[in-house]
Amino acid sequence: MADGVDNSEQWREDFPVRWDVDHYLTRRELAKFLTLGSALLVGATGAIAAIGRFGFQEIRARQWIASAAALQPSGSLLFRYPTSDDPCILVRTAAGELKAYSQVCTHLSCAVRHVPDKDEFFCPCHRGFFAVADGRPLAGPPTRRLPRILLEERDGDVYAVGVEV
Amino acid sequence: METRQQGAVLFSGILVLIGTLVIIQLWLLTAALEALLARDAGVLLPATLSSLVLFLINAGLLWYVVSFDRRVRRDEGRGVE
Repeated sequence: MADGVDNSEQWREDFPVRWDVDHYLTRRELAKFLTLGSALLVGATGAIAAIGRFGFQEIRARQWIASAAALQPSGSLLFRYPTSDDPCILVRTAAGELKAYSQVCTHLSCAVRHVPDKDEFFCPCHRGFFAVADGRPLAGPPTRRLPRILLEERDGDVYAVGVEV
Repeated sequence: METRQQGAVLFSGILVLIGTLVIIQLWLLTAALEALLARDAGVLLPATLSSLVLFLINAGLLWYVVSFDRRVRRDEGRGVE
């Protein structure tokens, strides 16, 4: 027996594989593969940082939503802001205050609904709840608050003037 | 124990270390993505720099493995055990 190989058996002569050498090469290749993956992860994290730094512009467009008188206490109204792909919800609380948020649940992007008697938003997909007062998650899987739509009332009309994430 | 066997053991240890660092980088990537979605820009740069440092460590370990391998091949070519 030499180098861990028993040459007395015929099958070892037919298949002369040195496992220590084989493992040695495989591990080296795996180390290269993992380091390449490490470089890709740096690139991906850097891309995310670049998007966070340069990709988001502050939204300050003014858009008419509705007449303030059109919304009764505990009532709600759907609109889209800042683009037609961004559904939002305007709510007048029981106390008469106007609040607006993105309607997209921060968990998995289902549309939230207003629950008038509790002044809460409810996401029916996974039973997530948000506070109407500030959009923070109250219960269920969501961990991030709903993006708030900044409002302005002028001459009896309600305008959306920005988004606060 | 011959040098190639020693190398196999050494590579196992280095592989575990590289794999652990890559998992930490994956965690940093998910943390950065979560911060991006929450518009928390303060986390993004430190996460990127940390990931870069971990990559440099990984590259250094790989360089060590490759140079070790070259040395083993050179020694075997000369007939040194």
